[in-house]
Amino acid sequence: MFRKQKHILFSLLALLLVNGLSVNAQTDTSGPLVTGEFKQLRVETFLLQLEKNTGYRFYYNKTDLDSILIDLSVKNQPLHKLLQLAFNDTHLVFSDDGNRQIFITKHIPISMALADDLFDDQPRKIKKPVITARNPIQKDAVVTEPKAAKANLENKLYIIGDKPKTALTPGKVTIAGYLHDSKTGEPVIGASIMLEGSKTGVISDQYGYYSITVPKGRNIINIQSLGALDTRRQLMVYGEGRMNIDLQPQVISLKNVTVSAERTSLIKGMQMGVQKIDIKAIKQVPVVFGEADILRVVMTMPGVKTVGEASTGLNVRGGSADQNLILFNDATIFNPSHFFGLFSAFNPEVVKDVQLYKSGIPARYGGRLSSVLEVNSREGNKKNITGSAGIGLLTSRINIEGPLAKDRSSFIFGARTTYANWLLNLLPNEYKNSKAAFNDINFNITHEIDKKNSVYFTGYLSNDRFNLNNDTTYHYGNRNISLKWKHVFNNKWYMITSGGYDGYYYDISSERNPTTAYKLDFNINQYYLKTHVNYFANARHTIEFGMNNLLYKLSPGTFAPLGNKSLIVPQKMQTEQALETALYLSDKFTVTPELSLEGAIRYSVFNYLGAQTVNQYAAGVPKTETNRLGVINYGSGSFIKTYHAPEIRATARYIINQNFSVKAGFNTQRQYIHMLSNTAAIAPTDIWKLSDPNIRPQSGEQVSLGIYHNFKSNTIETSVEVYYKRIKDFLDYKSGAVLVLNPHIETDLVGTRGKAYGVEFLIKKATGKFNGWFSYTYSRTLLQMNDSTQGSPINKGAFYPANYDKPHDLTFVGNLRISHRFSISVNTTYSTGRPITLPIGMFYYAGAQRTLYSDRNQYRIPDYFRADFSMNIEGNHKVHQLFHNSFTIGVYNLTGRKNPYSVYYTTENAVVNGYKLSIFGTLIPYINYNVRF
Amino acid sequence: MKKLLIVSLLLMALACREKYIPQLNEPATGYLVVEGFINSGTGPTSISISRSTKISSAATIVKETGALVRVENKNNTTNFPLAETSPGTYTHPQIVLNSAEQYRVYIRTAAGKEYVSDYSTVRTTPDIDSVSWKRENGGVQIYANTHDNTNSTKFYQFKYEETWEFSSTFATMLKVYKDRVGNPHHVGYRDSSNPVYDPKVRRCWKTNIPTNILINTTEKLSNDVVALYPLTYIEPASWKLGILYSINLKQYAISRQAFRFLEQMRKNTEQLGSIFDAQPSDNNGNLHCITNPDEPVIGFIEVSEEKQKRIFISAAQVPGWNYDSKCLPEVAVRNIPDTIAVTAGTPTRVAKGGMTGLDYVYFASDVCVDCTIRGVNTKPIFWP
Repeated sequence: MFRKQKHILFSLLALLLVNGLSVNAQTDTSGPLVTGEFKQLRVETFLLQLEKNTGYRFYYNKTDLDSILIDLSVKNQPLHKLLQLAFNDTHLVFSDDGNRQIFITKHIPISMALADDLFDDQPRKIKKPVITARNPIQKDAVVTEPKAAKANLENKLYIIGDKPKTALTPGKVTIAGYLHDSKTGEPVIGASIMLEGSKTGVISDQYGYYSITVPKGRNIINIQSLGALDTRRQLMVYGEGRMNIDLQPQVISLKNVTVSAERTSLIKGMQMGVQKIDIKAIKQVPVVFGEADILRVVMTMPGVKTVGEASTGLNVRGGSADQNLILFNDATIFNPSHFFGLFSAFNPEVVKDVQLYKSGIPARYGGRLSSVLEVNSREGNKKNITGSAGIGLLTSRINIEGPLAKDRSSFIFGARTTYANWLLNLLPNEYKNSKAAFNDINFNITHEIDKKNSVYFTGYLSNDRFNLNNDTTYHYGNRNISLKWKHVFNNKWYMITSGGYDGYYYDISSERNPTTAYKLDFNINQYYLKTHVNYFANARHTIEFGMNNLLYKLSPGTFAPLGNKSLIVPQKMQTEQALETALYLSDKFTVTPELSLEGAIRYSVFNYLGAQTVNQYAAGVPKTETNRLGVINYGSGSFIKTYHAPEIRATARYIINQNFSVKAGFNTQRQYIHMLSNTAAIAPTDIWKLSDPNIRPQSGEQVSLGIYHNFKSNTIETSVEVYYKRIKDFLDYKSGAVLVLNPHIETDLVGTRGKAYGVEFLIKKATGKFNGWFSYTYSRTLLQMNDSTQGSPINKGAFYPANYDKPHDLTFVGNLRISHRFSISVNTTYSTGRPITLPIGMFYYAGAQRTLYSDRNQYRIPDYFRADFSMNIEGNHKVHQLFHNSFTIGVYNLTGRKNPYSVYYTTENAVVNGYKLSIFGTLIPYINYNVRF
Repeated sequence: MKKLLIVSLLLMALACREKYIPQLNEPATGYLVVEGFINSGTGPTSISISRSTKISSAATIVKETGALVRVENKNNTTNFPLAETSPGTYTHPQIVLNSAEQYRVYIRTAAGKEYVSDYSTVRTTPDIDSVSWKRENGGVQIYANTHDNTNSTKFYQFKYEETWEFSSTFATMLKVYKDRVGNPHHVGYRDSSNPVYDPKVRRCWKTNIPTNILINTTEKLSNDVVALYPLTYIEPASWKLGILYSINLKQYAISRQAFRFLEQMRKNTEQLGSIFDAQPSDNNGNLHCITNPDEPVIGFIEVSEEKQKRIFISAAQVPGWNYDSKCLPEVAVRNIPDTIAVTAGTPTRVAKGGMTGLDYVYFASDVCVDCTIRGVNTKPIFWP
């Protein structure tokens, strides 16, 4: 790992070279004896071999070694002699620190002495960096980086803890702190902090907080993060302490700097089945109408599928769309789409990144079967008021951010609104009075009370309204609010407490016919309180535990008359309430540097609460209206039914070498709230239902195995993951199921068993002029209902493919930066067509030819293929101009292929006709304009 | 919820739909299809029996002939045999039911298989209150209105027939005479002894029986009232209201199970193709095969009654209707074999003055002259 550092700018080590060039051990006879043939080797390879043979470590700047080939044959030569021979006629020189470490530089050798005044407590001379707040008593004293000398930070030695009077006693201590973006002051999330020369490393959490255990003495830590320049810090560690680090954002530079950062977190991290995409990558992917769409990009990841272009419902590893926990800064989003599923409801200007957990779901998350999608918003700029605005074909958007108190608190506000009415003009005349609109608003505040306490506020609102020809009006939206408090006790302990409200509602109203004018309301309300504690016990154990409390209140439908002529009988479905409580404990255990284990147990308890009238059915026979025995009334607050079970999450990682690791995982999940929808896509009128005495919770278990291999100095990441999943009590529907306003909905549902398995391949190049990823998934999802006590078996009790079972799925996303102001992106995808039910025959009835259906999902629509293309044009990059402009021009569905969304038969003029429906059956060009200020 | 389907039209504005015949691996079929109702009112009980066919087969009805069909009460103490009045159609002129009893249909096919429907209580249908209409968006929207004072019907099925009178744009007294080998030769009077306009091709009637399933429920209403249930919409300036239009509504009280059966059939066969469709699924009804219980039977037979109501709408009632036949003006053609042989359409009248000179004649397109191409020229018995 350390060999591959490109940012070890030793030429800047002057800091350490104030005086006393005491050790310069470049004598010809030093070092161990080496024998070997080195034929046409690149210097890097040559040094790697030497490391293996001698146990020495080499430090160098990789660019210094370019285009030099070593051609040598030696026998029992001392190492230094060998190096001299090798570097003869090159500009390379080396120096040995006497500690089996050799530094290779250009032209000037590195002096191995420390500056005289490095450890004295006297104020420094001018121009020398100052190390502040080194208080020997107060352990939490923060080492803050001087702002003036950024370029030198990497070469400075930071003192942490109190220098002992006597010799340093060996041992390990914990260092913790925050990573911030040096430009905006926002926390840097998910950065990897690795201790050089070891395999231990940690990842900064969602607040940019990290805690790493290091041996006392001299250490180098390397920090890498997407979107930031890689950096390192040299530490002299005497005791526990704080170390806040500012990372420089990776801005577009006019100088051609190739950054080949070390991307080792995939290899070394414990996580498996996790995909993370930052907003920059998301914005590069061409999408329909040019509206940067987070969920569409998530769909390009292996193991993620969707039923079609009109749906933003994700099907992760054979799960249904409601089995994903979609979290926007901890707030659950129930309907992540606008415009009936054509666009996702997240404003790309506010989002920082998304992370999808397909397996290895952390113990702090639960309540959904197949995945957790974390959408993290940015924190506002803590230094200046800035903003951006954009105009696209469908939406215009604005966001403003800035400090509330400089460097301590900030806000970010984002809003989008649509003018999609022009789309409606494409409709036939009789619909010309229709109107459609959507908008969403984000507002976040981050405030650092003091060094140990921070609070975070998130507010989110989305609204969709559609009026059909002045007749039926649809209206739906999300409402979320959350408040989070992070308290750091000390370097080893911190606690996060969050509370909030998540809501989703829809209503449908029609006033066309005064006799039947109605309004239908549906809403979900969810209140939560979560406490999470993180304890860095020692270098080998990180322990997390906590408790989640979730109170559901569902109003599953209120049907009311509208106007005084309406004869509609008001119908109010009983509100449902339930309490979901979960306790969890997890331990990340580093057994050896190669082997790490993470085990967690989560115990979830679900209480279905009164007041409620519960239908009773005879045991052992299908739940039908005729088999209903009666009802039992429960009073308010009574515990009607309790479901509880442990959930197990376990992951193991074994590092085979620097570029290669293997991981295995097992996890179980439980889900107590279910979306009921018998349409293929998510419709805005789908309802959510809690588990109750008649509807069991869904549960699932998954085993997975992954192999991770990085190539080309970690610039290319590859992974293969296989999984097998079993699902119990997954809900499917009886023929002709009625879901809305059905007081005995259990009679229309059946519990099925499911199995899903697959293999996912991913090749990703995250950096460089050409970047992107290629993924391929083979997977199957099969369901079975053969329990005749629930009703007649589906497909005679045989396994049948789920609606989203698409075995082959291939995606390529590529971005080529032609210049710093111009780049092109391509997105291509191919997948097997989804299963559909086609008729097995036809018959005459009611004067017309009609189709006869039997077994479900026995056919497939034709395969799907699409290629999209976009060009991103940036304005000039003068830093100090008032406005920065950029354009995106693109074409969606470049080949104009009419990808079928569905194939169906319908009776028209008494004759059955077969049709193929494509949503975007033509190429769709778009343009988007953005301005930053 | 059905409006959601129209909402998805919005998406379909962008979408495109094309005819497509997927490769189907069709299993053997030939399930029994039974349609009709046991009439509790005045009039015949008629049940038609056919067989399902493969999608790929030619679109003809495979009728089930030679079956024994009867309506029977519980324990079969009384039964009414139905006679096969035309192939596959079994009729009894008038069944008299006891409203305290339950009835079902029993079928034994020529092949010896036995089928029965579930027992059904005797149900009567309330009278139709009115068939009303309103000018909407330039056209005419026609509605059904009914109610049940006893609040017991709740589920309704409607059927209707529409008939309208129309006339050809141009009257004719001429026709094309052919030569010996059948080629058009010259134009002459239709009846040279009486050269007048031919009334038989001038005034016609057209009848349309829609095949979509029309059902409605008042289950969610405080009173069993069906108000303004939309039956059909006549497009502005449609030929249906060029002269006189009539619609005959038939109303049936049905059970909740029959309603669900018809609704699922409608979803399966009429409502597919939008974006938020429910998946089609099996839908068999209330008939069972006794001989082989696993064999699907399609259809729903129960006791009901038919009520009818007819209304007329005349062109005078819809001012500004502006029906336009879009017929091009007549064209004058020289009446010699060379030109007549190559002139399309039907001759109407002599072009130059004088009743005897047939040197030039007018021609117009066939449908603008002969109304029997699109309709029938026998006046329906109910026509005023």
